[in-house]
Amino acid sequence: MNPLHGLGDLLRSSFQMIPLGFVRVVFVAIPLLLMAWVLRLPSIQTTPPGRSGRWDEDLRIWAWVALAAQVLIYCLF
Amino acid sequence: MGSLSVLDYIVVLLYLAVTLFIGVWVSRYIQTGREFFLAGRTLPWWAVGVSLVATDIGGTDIIGVGGAAYRYGLAVGNFEWIGCVPAMIVGAFVFIPHFWRSGVTTIPEFLEKRFDVSVRTAVAICWLLFMACNIGVMLLASAKLMEALAGWPVAWTIVGIAILVGFYTFSGGLAAVVYTDALQGLLMIAGCGLVVGLGLYELGGITGLRDAVVAAGAESAQVTVNTKEHFRLVLPVDTTSPFPWTGILFGLAFITSPAYWIGNQAIVQRALGARSEFEAKASYVWGALLKNLIPFIIVIPGMIALAKFPNLADADQALPKLIGSLMPAGGKGIFLAAFMAAMMSSVDSYLNSATTIFTNDIYLRFLRPTADERRLLFVGRTITVLLSIWGIFFAFLLSQSDAGIYAIFQTLMSFFNGPAFAVLLAGLVTRGVNRYGALSGFLIGVLTAVSLYLLNNPTVCEYLKSKPLFQISDPFLYYSIWAFLATWVVMLVVSYWTESEPSEKLAMSLRATRAEAAT
Repeated sequence: MNPLHGLGDLLRSSFQMIPLGFVRVVFVAIPLLLMAWVLRLPSIQTTPPGRSGRWDEDLRIWAWVALAAQVLIYCLF
Repeated sequence: MGSLSVLDYIVVLLYLAVTLFIGVWVSRYIQTGREFFLAGRTLPWWAVGVSLVATDIGGTDIIGVGGAAYRYGLAVGNFEWIGCVPAMIVGAFVFIPHFWRSGVTTIPEFLEKRFDVSVRTAVAICWLLFMACNIGVMLLASAKLMEALAGWPVAWTIVGIAILVGFYTFSGGLAAVVYTDALQGLLMIAGCGLVVGLGLYELGGITGLRDAVVAAGAESAQVTVNTKEHFRLVLPVDTTSPFPWTGILFGLAFITSPAYWIGNQAIVQRALGARSEFEAKASYVWGALLKNLIPFIIVIPGMIALAKFPNLADADQALPKLIGSLMPAGGKGIFLAAFMAAMMSSVDSYLNSATTIFTNDIYLRFLRPTADERRLLFVGRTITVLLSIWGIFFAFLLSQSDAGIYAIFQTLMSFFNGPAFAVLLAGLVTRGVNRYGALSGFLIGVLTAVSLYLLNNPTVCEYLKSKPLFQISDPFLYYSIWAFLATWVVMLVVSYWTESEPSEKLAMSLRATRAEAAT
């Protein structure tokens, strides 16, 4: 045993005390927070230059769909 | 997998012919070094997006992930889900447009603009060594799998694949790599999707799969985890699988994944070749959408194999065994073509990116800074040939070694990922980290990862009369966490005590002021 083993054991036992249900919430919260961030991006950053009329060319929608799929997956499994 | 029919061989030959045709067709448009390395910045978002996904999934991944899913279940899918999608979305809107606008060809080139030539060279050499050796590793690993799948001789497969991939990469550069990757990615999804569809149909759908896996797990010697964990993505710290949530969250989601999608030259280079900043962003978002599908087609087959064959002696035989039992004549050919597609799309990417780093960061930077575009094209093609030959040589060299050396080699190659990403991230998101901090942080970070590896190595532990540092079997994600943190600490401390960067260097940071950005 050296000090690194002690540190590792301390970290390991600390993480073991965190309920798995809370950890699952964190895994779902990551894509959820990103979904909120994506929606707040200005449209100038997410649409082709000079063309902001077509909804299907707005990258926010597709990024949101990709992240929503993550939320669904981590909620289910 | 069983013997192949004539129809299977026709499917494989058709795939190879189309791949070669694309490579030759694209090569007609390559006249300069810039067209060879960045496809003249003409690549469409849809091709880059599929190429990103195809490059990430190698042939060894298809078999290896199938084997891991057989033993540990769905948790291996974390590498494609939380280990990809969040980093790709953040990369799409924050980092990739910044790289694209800066006009660089490689990540090390960006590091010189932000720090200095010593940081660029240190990172470039690490990437070059890693990629050059990885070509041989991938050729050998894939050839061994082809031997297991179809009975093809290892030596001939190594030479054949290297010549084929080398030929179209030599001819068309990045454009050929991306367009062939697009074909290969779609084929990979179709081939693996077919296996999932047929497998689920046989088992009676998802419910049938769940019941069969729970029953099969109880009798399989390969399955050491509770089979209820087979349908869980978030596993406890004390799980017997290599995927506890701590490693997945802190090592994979926060460090390894962003390092891969934001700092890996083989990945970022595709987006740098996109025809506009918007298309570079769109390619990453499209890739993230596709990534949501990937675990369903490469993880589920391993679980179907567990349900059907619970008593396999080797988990890596799960997928070949499943293909042999499920696929009709012609279907095996589709899977084999999909497997070859996965293998080739990874080898060609590393071949092209290693060539780009050598030509851009070594040849153009140090050997001939005045080289014109025609000269760079010539050098790029020459290096592609030499690296293909090196890949063959290194694959044969590895095949002579024992498995231990091969595994150690792969471990050593992953050591600089965390430190390189820490340096890149510091350059992007801070103003305070300077060249001295970046270089010393990178070197100490690599040293930290190597030290942790040694302190976990059984031989070293025996010599030191100590027990291994980590309690899980393959703690690569933990090496990354600590190396990343050590790099940050050293960067911040050294930068605090040394002079700050001039404004033209800070212009490359995301936090540059308008005046600095204008310099």
